[in-house]
Amino acid sequence: LKRPWYEWVLWAVWFLVEIFVLQNAIASGAELEPRAASIFWMTFVVLLGGV
Amino acid sequence: MNDTGKAKRALSRREFFKMAGIGTGAAVAASSLQPAKVANAAAAPYTDPAGRPARPWWVKTVDQPTTEIDWAKMKRYSERYIEEEGSGTVRGDGFAGYLGAEEAERLIKQGNDKMKQRLVDNVDGYTLKDHAMSAGQSATSVARSFLGPQKAKTPEERGVPKWSGTPAEGARILRTALRHMGASTIGFVELDENTRKLIYSIDPDGKILEFTDEPIASETETHRYIPNSCKYVIVYTVQMSEEAMKRSPTMTASQTTTGAYSRGAQIAAGTQEFLRTLGYQGLSEASTNALGIAPAFGVLAGLGEMSRLNRMITPEFGPMVRVFKMLTDLPVEPDKPINAGIMDFCRSCKKCAEACPSGALSFESEPYWETKGGWNNAGHKAWFEDATKCRTYWVSEAGTNCGICFGVCPFSKKDKAWIHEWVKAGTSAAPFLASFFRSMDDAFGYGVQKSGEDWWNLDQPEYGVDSMSVVKG
Repeated sequence: LKRPWYEWVLWAVWFLVEIFVLQNAIASGAELEPRAASIFWMTFVVLLGGV
Repeated sequence: MNDTGKAKRALSRREFFKMAGIGTGAAVAASSLQPAKVANAAAAPYTDPAGRPARPWWVKTVDQPTTEIDWAKMKRYSERYIEEEGSGTVRGDGFAGYLGAEEAERLIKQGNDKMKQRLVDNVDGYTLKDHAMSAGQSATSVARSFLGPQKAKTPEERGVPKWSGTPAEGARILRTALRHMGASTIGFVELDENTRKLIYSIDPDGKILEFTDEPIASETETHRYIPNSCKYVIVYTVQMSEEAMKRSPTMTASQTTTGAYSRGAQIAAGTQEFLRTLGYQGLSEASTNALGIAPAFGVLAGLGEMSRLNRMITPEFGPMVRVFKMLTDLPVEPDKPINAGIMDFCRSCKKCAEACPSGALSFESEPYWETKGGWNNAGHKAWFEDATKCRTYWVSEAGTNCGICFGVCPFSKKDKAWIHEWVKAGTSAAPFLASFFRSMDDAFGYGVQKSGEDWWNLDQPEYGVDSMSVVKG
């Protein structure tokens, strides 16, 4: 709780990027775009890096 | 848990506000990720007096279209081949006109033979059920006519005065009516001495289109007379299925084009009767692609921008639309063109030109004034295409209409994933990113041809299109 503010900001950014990537992964599946979906899913898993 | 522990875990006021601030910031940022995608599932009142839909911030209204026009050089175009001049459309007689009768006959026979063989061989996208789908789509059409069915009772016959309202109200009720009949986006253009040049000189059936001071439109064996009072152009789009078009060039893909034309004809007849009931005239296309230059009117009505395809691309559906137009004397508020960065994107993309098997599309970075042949209409700067190459491929190879360029276009997306809106916004705001976005489009596997057989296993929405996408602005 006492970490500096910029650390909180970095985690917030990480969280938002994960949400964005997850939405694109799920929606790309719904769009029947398998390659795009797999790239987004892999990115999501790699970020989930989240140190 | 002792007192010391409790004391240590109690948040100070500063820490509490820090957490609350970050939480609020995250929530705001998350909601702003997709400002244009908050689905308006329940019908909401128009926010614009003329019923214009709210569009994303990156679709900017402009005074002049992104296509440069030299009205002094432009002439009314003939949508029928004129042998003496070697000009006019490549459709119909134009194919033989430009290539020679013998060559045209040979190519047509070649295409027919290939189609027969594909059907016999049960080739993907050309099977009997694909042919059946195309035939079914054709059958859903209604008869097109310049003057309309003229079966509805006029206000006079109903014993009431004709409808009257402001031009904005006229535009609004037409938008509501056409949307309910199946149109996706609707815009309006007011004819003046320049924009009149976008009305054909000759219709596909050879009839001459002539403006007249007579108040009522009429038609003879040789002419269609347009009253000068019918100076308002209703321009509307009908969506095609992006998923079907990804099967180009097959019957599976071409049926969505056929279906959109059929729905366009239904909407035209419906709108003509709607206008007649209000006490006004609706002068429509007497046949497919008649009356005037659809993409040009679409651009002036703010429905999209011209592109490397030399067709209109819309911000909402990319090129996945058919464009229709109709003249009326009901005063409506005209729309302005838009700049959504589409033309800029086309400068560096070239994906359609690379994919075109006939080499009909231009690889030039900048659009140009010089036409490629009599089938093009001079007077505007465009990526003019070689329509004879395109048509030859349709007739002799594909055996049906093609659509590969539509299917591979980076603007052809279903728009479910947030990334598409971000890319379109990025393209509009920062055109220098276009090459990067084009590369990413390839890397992510967009625009690849799909299997016709797989299409039959998809659980799709009505008409294979997302009818909600225009009310998400």
